Amino acid sequence: MKLKTFTKNNRYTVMLLGLMALILVFFTATKGGAFWKLSLWKGMTMQFPEYGCMTLGLMFAFISGHMDMSFVALGDFASILAVNYMSAHVVDGMTNGQVGSIMFVAILIALSIAIIGGAINAVLVSRLNIPPVMATIAMQLVWTGFSTALTKGYAVKGLPALYTEIGHMELFGFLSIPLLIFIVLFIIAAFLLKFTVFGEKLYMMGNNLKAARFSAINTHNMLLTSYILSAVYSCIGCLIMVSTMGSAKADYGTSYVMRCILILVLAGVLPDGGMGKIMDVLLSIITIQIIATGVNMFPQLNTYYASLIWGGLLIIVLIVSTRMSGGTVRVRKPRKAPQKTA
Amino acid sequence: MSEEYLLQMTGICKSFSGVRALDNVNFKVRPGKVMCLAGENGCGKSTLVKIISGVYTKDEGQVIFEGKEITKITPAEATRLGIQVIYQDLSIFPNLTVRENLAINSEITAGRKMVNRKRWDATAREALSKIGCNIDLDAKMGELSVADKQLVAICRALLFNAKLIIMDEPTTALTKKEVDALFVTVRQLRDSGIAIMFISHKTEEIFEISDDVCIMRNGKNVYSGQTADLTRRDFTYYLTGRELVDDRFVPTNISAEPILEVKNLCMPGKLQDVSFELRKGEILGVTGLLGSGRTELALSLFGLAKPSGGQIILNGKSVKIPSPIAAQKLRIGYVPEDRLTEGLCLQQPIADNITLASLKRLSNALGLLKKKDIYEDAAKWVKIFSIATNDPKKNASTLSGGNQQKIVLSKWLSNDLDLLILNGPTVGVDVGAKQDIHALVHQLANEGLAVMIISDDLAEVVVNCSRVIVMKEGAIVGEMTGDAITEDNILEIIR
Repeated sequence: MKLKTFTKNNRYTVMLLGLMALILVFFTATKGGAFWKLSLWKGMTMQFPEYGCMTLGLMFAFISGHMDMSFVALGDFASILAVNYMSAHVVDGMTNGQVGSIMFVAILIALSIAIIGGAINAVLVSRLNIPPVMATIAMQLVWTGFSTALTKGYAVKGLPALYTEIGHMELFGFLSIPLLIFIVLFIIAAFLLKFTVFGEKLYMMGNNLKAARFSAINTHNMLLTSYILSAVYSCIGCLIMVSTMGSAKADYGTSYVMRCILILVLAGVLPDGGMGKIMDVLLSIITIQIIATGVNMFPQLNTYYASLIWGGLLIIVLIVSTRMSGGTVRVRKPRKAPQKTA
Repeated sequence: MSEEYLLQMTGICKSFSGVRALDNVNFKVRPGKVMCLAGENGCGKSTLVKIISGVYTKDEGQVIFEGKEITKITPAEATRLGIQVIYQDLSIFPNLTVRENLAINSEITAGRKMVNRKRWDATAREALSKIGCNIDLDAKMGELSVADKQLVAICRALLFNAKLIIMDEPTTALTKKEVDALFVTVRQLRDSGIAIMFISHKTEEIFEISDDVCIMRNGKNVYSGQTADLTRRDFTYYLTGRELVDDRFVPTNISAEPILEVKNLCMPGKLQDVSFELRKGEILGVTGLLGSGRTELALSLFGLAKPSGGQIILNGKSVKIPSPIAAQKLRIGYVPEDRLTEGLCLQQPIADNITLASLKRLSNALGLLKKKDIYEDAAKWVKIFSIATNDPKKNASTLSGGNQQKIVLSKWLSNDLDLLILNGPTVGVDVGAKQDIHALVHQLANEGLAVMIISDDLAEVVVNCSRVIVMKEGAIVGEMTGDAITEDNILEIIR
């Protein structure tokens, strides 16, 4: 009975653990020992932090009941400016300290762009009442447009060596800097959602924006904060991506938009708002990374199939999660019990 | 139709995941009569209707329609037999015109693929002529008043040669005048031989319209028979399972100085020169028809509507109220009209809903939640209001309408308030919960709270208010105090 209640309250956790077990069994059966090589798993911890950060950002938008499609494009633009700044100011023969301070300024520039971009999204959605999907798709085009105009579509190079070095540095032999950044961002996000007034209001507002407004909650400010968080988290993800790619480009990581949505929906954080647990998001990120790495081990499935795989997976997950939530969210459930009246 | 009864239901049982929603329910509907199905919220009325209309399947029992036993009812079968249900949400297409709404079903049943405007027009006109009502066929359904929507829904039902029309709480969103008009139509239908099953929990309406009555409580029917054999006292007893005392509010603690003064409040097309005062310890009723400006008045006192002119004076100081946040700072609370869309986060826990407007008090300077205090606060209100739940961590959606309304009230009462505005505080609330809510509001007023009740439920206004202002077309057209407050006096001014 206790187990039953646990399963009912944590359906997504149970589902994700089951899915993960299934995948592990599948890859072990098909690839055997090659799948359990330490280097393979270390590789995974290098790969997921970039889109992991983006996912955590998008999660704020989803929980508030809104959508953000612009986060990767905005992050790309911000990191192009950052790389440009670094390549213009770093010259040969500088000490690490000098390069470091230039990098610091560059990162600040990128983050300010992200904050501005997030604020624009919030204004479009909450003050001008444009439907979130459309507003943020339009902003996605705008940011990609800026990036393309600025770079003519080429990758921006000239990243200081120190930047990529830090990106590939490992503490204690396993904790890479990107992973560390992800862990820190995850803890911040979990803390915000679970223990603060902001998190509480975000879930309530996501469930019913109007009721939140009628309860004297400043929904404009809430949306401003959640869109800025989304943009900043995504920008940090893009800055990590820059270090692995060694450059910045207008269209790096565009496929991450759909992957982030896939991860969130798989974790039960639906854009309807007010739903989902951050621990499930973590499980979901790991699951998706295992799938990505595992699929890579099949040479027959080259990168040309990537869209097909992720798209197909997204559709399946959408169908399943809509069916799972269908009873409670969209359709009115039959009244379960005659209510005792007080 | 030789049978005495059109529909006979015996021993109907239905359970949802082990919980009995209907327990051995029996009743009969006579042709050409109005049968009222009465009961508090959550007593199983809706479930019963859904069994008749084929949405749910019964677990046990017998259904006899026109003398023939029907073993399996599906929605299509119910329609074929002539059973039509008009649900609370009316199941209409708000973005289509009246004509399209009326004609679409028969077009679909006939399997037609092409649109013929003339034929649609004919169908729609025929439908409207059945009850002789006059509604613009080109109007968008969503823009009609609730009353007109209902008429369209009735007409649509008639197009299917309905023999039994079931109306699920049709008067909930109607004003008194519209209710009267609806009753005229209902009688007209009855006289033409159609049986009407009328679902309601409003005593006055049931006695006014019904020939037979079936009262349900907790999934069982506790009375069924002719309405004439029943006194109002018995009726209330059957409905609630307890004796009802009529408690009129007597103010004992009215302050000398008004806490709120509203001077010449204007809003183009909504409010005209509205001025009034409100003292602590008073319960002021604001009544009027839908669209009379009563809701706009409340919204402008709560920062959700911007008046174009006029003055609001709180505690002797002229104030501007640009947002609900400002209103809360001025110690004003507002319980909105529509609990589902404006009052509650249904898919969130009861406790979180109760404490939503007092998170500032329930957190520290850094914005960290004091979870323990939140649950204590919630538990306190669950107790004060006797909200029917064993676990405040369950979602608000698990509660009945009356209990949900108690949550919305708790949300504001857990703030320290000077002024509480209640807009339709007991709409869709069962008699028992209604009494609880009224009693608490009386107590709070006598403890020094200023209360404004906005309502078109005149009985509610009469029982609860020490002073009443009546609004019409955005202006105050009448005011009465004490014993002068009667339903008749109010109606005279409204009409």
